[in-house]
Parts: sequence; C-alpha cells; structure tokens
Amino acid sequence: MHLLVTPRKFRHSINFAIVLRVVGWLLMIEALFMVVPLVVAIVYGEVLIAVEFAVSVLSTFASGLVMNHYIRPSSNTMRKREGLLLTATVWIFFSIFGMLPFIFSGTVKSVTDGFFESMSGFTTTGASVITNVESLPRGVLFWRSMMQWIGGMGIILFTLAVLPMLNYKGGVSLFNSEVTGITHERMRPRVSQTAKSLWAIYLVFSVVLAVLLMLGPMDWYDAVCHTMSTVSTGGFSTRNSGLHFWHDYYTDIVIIVFMMLCGINFTIIYNVAVRGKFGDLKRSDTFKWYMIIILMGSIVVFARILYKGFVTDWDIGGRLVLSVFDTVSAITSTGFATINYEHEGEFIFFVLMLLMFFGGMAGSTAGGAKIDRFVVLLKNMKNELYKVVHSNAVTSVRLDGKSVPHVIVEKVLAFLSIYVAVMVFMAVVLTLFGMPAFDAMFNSLSAISNIGFGYGEMTGEADKFANIPDVCKWLLAIEMMVGRLEIFTVLALLTPSFWKRD
Amino acid sequence: MRIVIAGAGEVGTHLAKMLSNEEQDIIVVDKDVRKLHNLDNYNLMTVVGSAVSLDVLKSIKVGSADIFIAVTPQETINVIASSMAKSLGCRKTVARIDNFEFMKPASRKFFSSYGIDALIYPEYLAALEIKTAIEHTWVRNWFEMLNGQLIVVGVKVRENARLVGHKLKDLGRISNFMHVNAIKRNREIIIPGGFDDIMANDILYIATTSDNVDAVMAVCGKDKQKVERVLIHGGNEIVKQLALLISGKYKVKIMDSDYDRCQQLADELPDCNIVHYEAGNNDVLEEEGVEDYDVFAAMGESSESNILSCIMAKELGMKKTIAQVENLQFINEAENFNIGTIINKKLIASSTIFQMMIDDDTDNAKCLALADAEVAELEVGAGAKVTKALVKDLKLSRDMTIAGMVRNGVGQLVNGDTRLMAGDRVVVFCLSGAIHKIERMFG
Repeated sequence: MHLLVTPRKFRHSINFAIVLRVVGWLLMIEALFMVVPLVVAIVYGEVLIAVEFAVSVLSTFASGLVMNHYIRPSSNTMRKREGLLLTATVWIFFSIFGMLPFIFSGTVKSVTDGFFESMSGFTTTGASVITNVESLPRGVLFWRSMMQWIGGMGIILFTLAVLPMLNYKGGVSLFNSEVTGITHERMRPRVSQTAKSLWAIYLVFSVVLAVLLMLGPMDWYDAVCHTMSTVSTGGFSTRNSGLHFWHDYYTDIVIIVFMMLCGINFTIIYNVAVRGKFGDLKRSDTFKWYMIIILMGSIVVFARILYKGFVTDWDIGGRLVLSVFDTVSAITSTGFATINYEHEGEFIFFVLMLLMFFGGMAGSTAGGAKIDRFVVLLKNMKNELYKVVHSNAVTSVRLDGKSVPHVIVEKVLAFLSIYVAVMVFMAVVLTLFGMPAFDAMFNSLSAISNIGFGYGEMTGEADKFANIPDVCKWLLAIEMMVGRLEIFTVLALLTPSFWKRD
Repeated sequence: MRIVIAGAGEVGTHLAKMLSNEEQDIIVVDKDVRKLHNLDNYNLMTVVGSAVSLDVLKSIKVGSADIFIAVTPQETINVIASSMAKSLGCRKTVARIDNFEFMKPASRKFFSSYGIDALIYPEYLAALEIKTAIEHTWVRNWFEMLNGQLIVVGVKVRENARLVGHKLKDLGRISNFMHVNAIKRNREIIIPGGFDDIMANDILYIATTSDNVDAVMAVCGKDKQKVERVLIHGGNEIVKQLALLISGKYKVKIMDSDYDRCQQLADELPDCNIVHYEAGNNDVLEEEGVEDYDVFAAMGESSESNILSCIMAKELGMKKTIAQVENLQFINEAENFNIGTIINKKLIASSTIFQMMIDDDTDNAKCLALADAEVAELEVGAGAKVTKALVKDLKLSRDMTIAGMVRNGVGQLVNGDTRLMAGDRVVVFCLSGAIHKIERMFG
C-alpha cells in the first residue's frame, strides 16, 4: 500500500477560509433571529433598547456579510477537520455576537459576563450572572430566552434544515458533530430532511406549550419566554424567583410534562407521533430507565422533604409537585431556579447532582452524559462481572433489542471517562480560585451537563454566578460548550494531531 | 428519487457514495454495522438488518422506493430480496448475480415473473469491457450506442497528434466529424469550451459517428494494431468470462500462481493455454515470451502489481496493456502511467446501475465507466427542458455536455445549433455530482 505516496502539494491542510465563510453565513442568520427581540422591544415601547438591538443586528449582519463576501476560499471542499472546526467556531462566534445586546444595553458589566451569559444561553445551560432579571428590559430578557431556543436544537441543525448550502458531504459531519448521542441515527434518508423533521417536532412542542402556558396565569410574554426555556431544556426565567413567582399547579405540571418530553430522543418521538410506531417506545431500554430514574428521584426527594419537614407552609400536593419538578428539571438539564429549601446538609442537592450527571436521552435537547451511555455502561459492567466467574464467556451488550458493537462500547466508555476527567479538572481549577470542593464539583458538573444550577456561597442564590472570579466564568463558559457538543468535537481540536498534516 | 441499496460491499458502497452527492434519497441496508460505518459521513441513511427481512424492508418503506438495488455478495439473497421488494411495491429492482446462465434471454422471463427487472453481472460486464479494449487497441475507452451508430472514445493524445496545440473552436477546420466532450488532464476532468487548448498527454473523450472512427484515429495520431495473441496474468472470474468470449477469435494464454485455480481453468477453458508459475518468479513475463503477444492484461488481485506489471510489459515492447485496478484511489495515478485501459469492476457495475436508473430502456443501454464522470444514454422525454431551445441557448451548466444523438435511427453529432426533439436518444457526458441535473433537463 505504500507504493504510491501522494506528493506534498496534494496533502491538505485545514481550509480555514471555507470555515470562516460559512460562519459568515450563519452570523447573518443569527442577525435575523435578533430581529425578533428587536420587535418585542418595539412592542413594549422600549425605544432605547430597540435602537441597541438594531445596532446589534446591523453589526452582526454586516460582519457576516463581510466574512461571506470577502473571504474567497480556494476550494470549497469541507472535510472532517473543517466540519469539526466549523461546529466549534460557530458556537463561539454566536456567543460573541449574541452578547452584543447585553453589552450595548448595559445589562452586564463586562465582556466576561456577556460571554458567559451568552454561552450559557446558547448551550441551554441557563446559568446567569444577572442577579435581578426582573429589572431587565423586556427585549433583552426575550433575547436571553431565545438564545436557548436556538441552541437547544442546534445552530447548525437549523441551517441544515433551511439552507441547502451545507447539504453536501461536509454537512453530514456537521450533523454528526452537533447532534447528541452515541450513533447519530437519521430518521430520513437525507440530512436536510432529518434536520427538518427534528426542527418540526421542536416547533410543534414550542407552539403547543406556549398556548398551554398562556391558558394559565402567565401573560403571552412570560409564556413564550418560558416555552423557549423549557423545550430547549435551558432554564432562564423572566422572574427572580423563577416559576415560584406564579406558584401554580397547572403551570408547574405543564412544564414538567414538556421538560420530560424534550428529554426523550426526538427520533423516537418522530417515529411514534408521525409514523405511529409505538413499538419503538416499548422496545427502548433508555426510555424505560429514563422513566424509572425520574420516578425514583422524585420519591427520594419527596421523602426527604417530608421527613425533614422542608417547605411545611406548602400543602402536600405542592410539595409533591415540587419534588417531581426538581427531579425532572435536573435530569433534563433544564435547571429552572428553585427555592433553596435545604439549608442544612446537601442530600437533595447530591441526589439531583446524580440525576444531572445522567442527563436526558441521546438525541434530545437535554444535556448531561446521556442515559443511553449509562445503560451501555451498566450492561457492559454486568458482563464484565459475569466474566470474572465465567472467564470463557462470550457476551454481548444489547441496547433497545439490538447488540451494540464493541467499538461503540469502547467509545461510550472513553466518553464517560473523559467527561468525568474534564469535570473534575475544571472543579480542581475552580477550587484554586477559592471555591469549596463540593461547590466546585457541583458547579463544574452543572456547566458540563448544561444544567445551570449554581451551588454554594460564591454563587449565592441558585443559578446566579455573578460573584465568581472572571477566570472561572471563562472556564465554565468553555466547559458548557464542551458539554453541549459532547466533548469529542471540542477536545479533538485541542489535540496536536488535529492540526498536523497527515 | 428514493433509492434503496441492499449490501454495503464494494459495489454498494461505491454506488451509495456516488449518489450521495446528488439530490437523492438513499438508504443502505446491510447486516454488518461495521460495513455501514464507512458511510457515516455521507448524506444518506443506513439501516442495520437483513435485506431479506420483510420487517426491515417495510420499515424503510421499500414500497415507495423508485429503485431497489441488491448487491450483497450472495446471488440468492439478491434475487430473493429484489423479488420481495417488488412485491412490496418497489418500482424497479436490480439484482447482482454471478452466473452467466441467468443473463441468457431465456432466463429473463423467469426473473421478471419474480419481479426482478434487471440483472447485473459485474464480472461479465468487465469481461465485455476488456473484449472491447482488445478489439480497439488505440483507445482507452470505447462506448457504442445504438448498434454502434454513435461512438464515444477516450484517447490519450501525444505530441504527434494533429489535434495537439489547437483550440477547440479551431478544430472544425481539421476535424468537423467529431466532438470533444471532455478532457482529462492531471487528475481532473473538464468539460471544455471553445477556448480550451488540447495539450499533449490529455485524455480526450471524443464523440463521432461510426463511419468517421478511422478519421478520428488518424487525427489523434494513432494506428490500428492487429491483435492475434493475448496474454493474461491472473485467473479470476472476469478472466474466465473473458476467455469464453474471446478464445475463439484470439490465441489466449492465462498465467496464475495458484495451481488449483489453473487446473480449474484448464478444465473449463479447453481452447486456452494455462500456465502455472511459482509465486516469486519475477522473470515469468519474459519466460513466457511477452514479446510474442499483442495484448497483455494484468488481472491479479493486487492493483499495485497489476499497474507495475503493465508498465513492465510496455517496456518490454507490448503494444497494448490492460490493468485491473480495484483500488479507486489508484485509478488517477494509473492513468498518468503508460497503461492502456484500466478496468474497475465497481465502476463498471455502478455505471451500469446508474444507466438503469436514468433510462428505463435498459436492454440497449451501455455505459462507460469512468472514475469522476458518467456517460449515459437516454431518451429525451416529451416536453423536456432541453427541447425548448437550441443547444447553445440552453445554458447547460459547465459540468455536462451532450455528446451526440440518434434520431430516426441515424447517429449524428450535436452542436450548438442542434435542437433536440422528444424521442431522440442522446448520449450525455457529465461530471459526477451532476446526475440529478440530467433528470431535470431531459425528463
């Protein structure tokens, strides 16, 4: 095979020009998205904010146009490297331009805060540096929620669905690097069709939820903002006390149901809802585990609340809903602000932390390490333990009634190890800046799993990260991106072999 | 078009990759997940499962598919899967077989009664291609349309050719009997315009009518070789089919290093000389008297040694060499060397299937297998876009060209002033990735 060595000029290096050019395209799309909060600001008569949004829209669009127009790549080929690089860069560029409205309006004090807030939005983490959200202008608050909605299903996926330009071979590796999960199954033959179907489900969920919330005590503005936070499993709220501002059974239960729905693999939802294949749901081990974990988690939290006598001023039903809400909010990585009822001991927070680590199902908008991987891990563990006694046994890991090849099992194990490694590393760095060990672990996990809960004295109230040092904010922001793109996409960029010609 | 490909082997994978650059819905089915992993980064859907499972076929909605292509390694599975797909409502089915008997017209009826519309036998097709290469030693590729009325040839031109150094628009004075469709230069195929030059060492793809073939040969600076003796290295299935096709006409000698295979060939091919040599005997070509032969075909398992032994044979004075190069990456390299014709089973099979997809009349159609381009024959549909204006006003994109046509049974070239009509059979030359445009223009 070493007969014909390709001459040097045919070896490829990374085609940066095409990456930047496509980023230019995507920035123009972001600018169009930004028009929506501009309109909201106008509707609410916030003239100054509207002007600031107009400036943001124009500068984002102009930057995109310049990048797209003046960068002329010598070739249009996009290989795997360009695909990975594009996916990562797009998220950074989106966050940089997405923070413009925050900075122009003075919502955040520094670029650090702006980038943190913006990345937290796009990665659907929902961690915030803004302590008093109720004082914010409506337009800004709307944009904050909308960022999550865009990031929840994915920036690139949106582009694949609406624009034909990425629909060649390169687009597929983009799809693979942005969609979560072990195998990136496609439900329809073409990537663009799959992306369209996913976004269609997402849109339907959004519309239905918004209407349902409007039927409750929320006005249309709060309903739409919370819809965007819920279906993307983000967690930004428009009130300082989050959903407890309304403290309404109906709203809480509707949101619980939709958080749960959005933590389910969208391919399964598509197959059940559109193709009527209920068998997919029955056959799915991950779905079974997802439901079991939610049930167990709720029971444990509820029992603890009853036993320790937290929030005794609420009726029993209220406490039950609260338990389920916190459990689902944690496992789907939504992380809606919750009242801080456990002041002594961290038992509930620790339970929630485990759930946060699991995360939702692969192929959903939820974050976390994904239940699918844990099911594979557990089944593989069972096989390994069996082999301790029966050393000659030949075993197979089966997921959803199909055997999982060893290569995939290895990849899952590698993923989980790296996931934990990154999380612990970041936690260690956080303690370097004076954060207590448990708080550091919790906040690091919260970032990588895109939850948005904050814990400890440094963060103060839940999910407010205003007071932590700037370095930590940058690190957590990057960690959020690493988590959202499921680690490999970003970490691959940090390896020397990525940049070397091969 | 919704295309289902059963079997992610060499042919299936190549076909899927080729079609994924087009605007097609492609679904690839295979039992082996690992084979499907090769297709992860292509714009198509892969499904793990057996091609002969009704559940699998139903779950991918084979009933709404336009074409079902069964190219698994097993002939019986291909036949059964195609039959099942047809009964579920698939419009057209193609099964890959490896038995010459099935290709006979008498078997056709049997297979069509089971719902199999077309059969494809890559080894036999490759053998036919080699036979053509032996009959026309001066060309690299030879494509005949409608009983040879119109011919497309691929020729490598050297300094001695009269065409070299001229711009295409000036060719009319030298040769108004031909049309240069495409030029392959340094790994790249271009569809040329009037201002492109012809340079030495270009491979030209030229369309002409049957009575002008000799004139084309002359302007390309080639001459006819008389072929009597053919030397073949390697004794695979293609060689067997080839020997059956040509052993009456030429004197054929087949060499192989595997004794059992030699014995088997000797049993089945009484008219051929079979030679067994020890592996590692590097002088075998000279020992077997290479200089006495007119054509040498290297059909061994290794693409590299096929290329090298063809270069060697050329140096020893062989006039025409043919190499089987199954490794697609090597094809461009091999074309730069002085090897005459390159045979690739996958390309031949996928081009044939591609031809079947764009044209319903598969019985007459032939195809030309190239690495980065397709040549296809098809009938212009009623009301098709191409019939609306003169060819020069059609604004055809730069990745396709109309090579020629047959109207009322007479082959003729197409130039800018031609106007196509419904019912014409045309030969279209297009670069990979432009196939869906053909459908749009001619359908």
